Amino acid sequence: MTEQIDKALAREYEAGFVSAVESETFEPGLDEDVIRRISEVKGEPEWMLEWRLNAFRVWQEMEEPDWAHVSYPKIDFQAVSYYSAPKSMKDKPKSLDEVDPELLRTYEKLGIPLVEQQMLAGVAVDAVFDSVSVVTTFREKLEEAGVIFCPISEALHKYPDLVKKYLGSVVPTKDNFFAALNCAVFTDGSFVYIPKGTRCPMELSTYFRINEQNTGQFERTLIIADEGSYVSYLEGCTAPQRDENQLHAAVVELVAMDDAEIKYSTVQNWYPGDEEGKGGIYNFVTKRGVCHTNAKISWTQVETGSSVTWKYPSCVLKGDNSVGEFYSVALTRGRQQADTGTKMIHIGKNTKSTIISKGISAGKSNNAYRGLVRMNPGAEGARNFTQCDSLLIGDQCGAHTFPYVESRNPSAIVEHEATTSKVSDDQMFLCRQRGVDPEKAVSMIVNGFCKEVFKELPMEFAVEAGKLLEISLEGSVG
Amino acid sequence: MSNENTLLSIKDLHASVEEKNILKGLNLDIKPGEVHAIMGPNGAGKSTTGYVLSGRDGYEVDSGSVTLDGEDLLEMEVEDRARAGLFLAFQYPVEIPGVSNLEFLKVAVDSQREARGEEALTSAEFLKMAKEACKQVNLPVSFLKRGVNEGFSGGEKKRNEIMQMMLLQPKLCILDETDSGLDIDAMQVVANGVNSQRSPERSFIVVTHYQRLLDYIKPDFVHVLADGKIVKSGDASLAKELEEQGYAWLQTEPTEDELED
Amino acid sequence: MSEWLQQAIARADSIQDGFEDQRAASLALLKDIKWPTRKTEAWKYTPLRAVERSAAIFKEESPELDPVAVEGLEFLELTFVDGQLVSLPEELPEGLSIEMQESSLFGTIKPERHIFGLVNDVLAADVAVVTVAEGVVVEQMLRINNLLSNGAQGHIRVVVDLKAGSSLKVVENAEGQGASLTTAFTEYQIGVEANLEHYRFALQSGDNVAVGGSHFKLFENAVMNSSIIGFGSDLQRIDTDIIYAGEKANAKLNAIYLLDGKELFDLHANVEHAVPNCTTEENIRGIAGDNSRAVFNGRIHIHRDAQKTLAELNNRNLLMSNKAEINTKPELEIYADDVRCAHGATIAQIDKQALYYLQTRGVSRSQAQLMLSFGFINELIDQMPTVELAEWVRPIIRDRFAQMEVK
Repeated sequence: MTEQIDKALAREYEAGFVSAVESETFEPGLDEDVIRRISEVKGEPEWMLEWRLNAFRVWQEMEEPDWAHVSYPKIDFQAVSYYSAPKSMKDKPKSLDEVDPELLRTYEKLGIPLVEQQMLAGVAVDAVFDSVSVVTTFREKLEEAGVIFCPISEALHKYPDLVKKYLGSVVPTKDNFFAALNCAVFTDGSFVYIPKGTRCPMELSTYFRINEQNTGQFERTLIIADEGSYVSYLEGCTAPQRDENQLHAAVVELVAMDDAEIKYSTVQNWYPGDEEGKGGIYNFVTKRGVCHTNAKISWTQVETGSSVTWKYPSCVLKGDNSVGEFYSVALTRGRQQADTGTKMIHIGKNTKSTIISKGISAGKSNNAYRGLVRMNPGAEGARNFTQCDSLLIGDQCGAHTFPYVESRNPSAIVEHEATTSKVSDDQMFLCRQRGVDPEKAVSMIVNGFCKEVFKELPMEFAVEAGKLLEISLEGSVG
Repeated sequence: MSNENTLLSIKDLHASVEEKNILKGLNLDIKPGEVHAIMGPNGAGKSTTGYVLSGRDGYEVDSGSVTLDGEDLLEMEVEDRARAGLFLAFQYPVEIPGVSNLEFLKVAVDSQREARGEEALTSAEFLKMAKEACKQVNLPVSFLKRGVNEGFSGGEKKRNEIMQMMLLQPKLCILDETDSGLDIDAMQVVANGVNSQRSPERSFIVVTHYQRLLDYIKPDFVHVLADGKIVKSGDASLAKELEEQGYAWLQTEPTEDELED
Repeated sequence: MSEWLQQAIARADSIQDGFEDQRAASLALLKDIKWPTRKTEAWKYTPLRAVERSAAIFKEESPELDPVAVEGLEFLELTFVDGQLVSLPEELPEGLSIEMQESSLFGTIKPERHIFGLVNDVLAADVAVVTVAEGVVVEQMLRINNLLSNGAQGHIRVVVDLKAGSSLKVVENAEGQGASLTTAFTEYQIGVEANLEHYRFALQSGDNVAVGGSHFKLFENAVMNSSIIGFGSDLQRIDTDIIYAGEKANAKLNAIYLLDGKELFDLHANVEHAVPNCTTEENIRGIAGDNSRAVFNGRIHIHRDAQKTLAELNNRNLLMSNKAEINTKPELEIYADDVRCAHGATIAQIDKQALYYLQTRGVSRSQAQLMLSFGFINELIDQMPTVELAEWVRPIIRDRFAQMEVK
């Protein structure tokens, strides 16, 4: 039985191809000069450079965290290149026609057509290739609604006040080692502003692609939903199949003003490395949102890629009655290691949070949920519910749960539950007795296990996530 | 006795579980359309027969042969046996959380149709069939949306098994103690479901400990399984006899093993 | 490194001559260890200020102290005062021995990671070794008393060896007066088919500082049942480790903590399922009132080979005041697939509906609160196998509740 499941789990990484794009890439290494050069290619204002340099100094004083349940060789930060962009992007193409067709082909191959006729209806896409944004679709349509959706490098020029006000306001420079590094060297990412009372007319999506070798990707995303607005945002990520590990250290900041709602979904499919654990992306990401009065932030993530994942999308529930949600599916196989979860910091009265985490471990992987629920003294009437379920496939993997629960308000209620299970022989036998392939059976059972999370994804992506699991399981987990 | 008109032919089947011999020379031939009841005391190997025929892991065939429609059943994978038309209604159906009944059945039906070279049903066609099947076994249609057997009562699980049988249209159905844990009303519903599926092309093996189910599903043949082999066969009246006398009297008739000793 | 630890090391150095390898190794480790801070995971919520500031001393002469009496129970008393063994039972039942000697079990069950465990290794003056011979069932309860006079410092260590098929009931009783400081560690080896009934009472409060642990290793078919009851003080920290070394062993751990004032109580319970087919059940309940802080960490570690493990942990807490806090961290680390493991943790207030219901029946609010919160704890007291102990501790806990309500 285990053998069949293993077979079902052996997968091809479909996004593993390399695009033949000529790039301008910095020599590996990191010092103040490199930061100055990044700032210079981006044509940034002086304050931004100062901000970066300050972050660099802070970072140098910090130590790489070692508390996560992951192990990997020490990263040589001097061996990483901190900037790489397709040469064709240097002249800043004005329209799609001017964009290098090879870049467009890359995204098409990944299922993200950027050409007008084929674009996904109802989804605006910002395509980030290594360190630069290649194209952002549907911009005019969004502008009509007053929605700003553009590369953050562009926002720095066009909306400096907004950027200056909010950048680093949710994740401060000193927050952690990788966030500080990101502050110093971030290259591109998306910027979103939804005006007061506006419901963003379409799904927004950023697709991150690492292509160049030995390059780190350090993107920065900032989403501001002004009072009473709503936006649903999705990010996807892939990288070529390479023998070397590559570093990805992103920061995402969300600001949900009074009565606003942000729904942030991630389908993370960075290259996970091969069966033996060779290669793959180190995914060290800081994601956090702050909710003002009556606001809501909902994180949904489907994590199937990366060789090491270190990621805790969090909510600071500052305003009264605000709501935080975290729905996560993390699948690890081969030698993948994931340490992921969330933090829900309840500050305001009657704040509510829900955490649903589904971890699936197969092969020789390790999959850990790590979470913090904190009820501050002022969190009168606050409420949290957490459910962490682990599914183990085979007896060579590990599934772990590390929840921190802290309460300092007697009227707050916190509930945490965790269970662990396996794909049982009985379930497999029932499916097969009804004529279902073992592979399909595993995928069906795993999908069933994840259902509560998948139903939180936007329609278009729920299907994609299901498929992704299927590929991962068939693939590997259908 | 087997000829081209035989659907299932079991010859001198020996099988074991965890190295313990359970079936010790089982012989049975079933023709299309026949209903065979297998009765016997606990531990005789009744459920094992169903598991061995359907190919469950851990049930080892030591010797003997089984053919379904002339094909070697024992060589096939579990799912291929199902696709060849063998259906096992479980005594204790397992729960699969999060996987809806409808989704599960669609995949199962599609897999089987595909294996037979038939076209897949459209979702609408399938839904219509499934709703119809629900009605026949008295299950609310809402059960199609619930997880497979998730939180179902014992009776609901059994009816769900019969509903699956209706949708999968097998050639040979093995009902493994389908009556266990059911009250008379529930048993009647199940029996009606089974009877509605009787046809000249479909055969049944009804495994049961008690005679009462056979009041509702009238068998053509009744076999008594004891210590891994059939020790007595007869028509429906044999079941009555067993009901009245219990299984103890079987012990008085020496088995072949004992004769050999 | 703290001054306190430096003094401890200096003292150990001065008496080092008598140490055999194990204790010398601990001393070496201790000299290298980092004094825990907020960033040390095992001490994240438990500051050591109370230790750092403690003026408790090693007394040359100690007053005579007697352990509390328990109605209906006559214990075999093993009594330490200010860290010195002062009395042993005069007569021991057949098959039970208590000796002051080196034991090869010393330090083999208690994990090395615990800084105060290492301190205890080098400072415990009298190590008592309790042995129950094969197949012997000791009916009378053994009580290990750790009594401290005001301002005294004492470190006690007991090793208990239950041979195959034997059975023993042990009460660990700590009574520390005033500003005393103690570390108290016990190690239990529970042999094949042996049975241990265990209690640890830490009903001392005020400015007492106590850090200690009860550590268990179970062999095939061994059974243990442990109840831990603690009040907080300036610092109360108890670590338990349950380590399975043989299959089909079974452990049950119930714990209660009940905090008032500015008290701090920290329980770390670690379970190592290293072999298949063992069963663990843990029920931990706590109440934190006033300005107190409760800390619970419950780790269950299922090793690769530990298939067919059943392990459950349930931690429920009531928070009674705006200034109190509860920090709980139930952890699972699982490396085997065919296991059933679950944990749950809740932090809440008393059920408001139940409170209201009682009030509609004429019960005062404070009385109703007392009834409900006491009921929450009482369920676990009811599960204590020795009824006399349950009857003894029940009113003590009830009184504490009554006090809490006055505030």
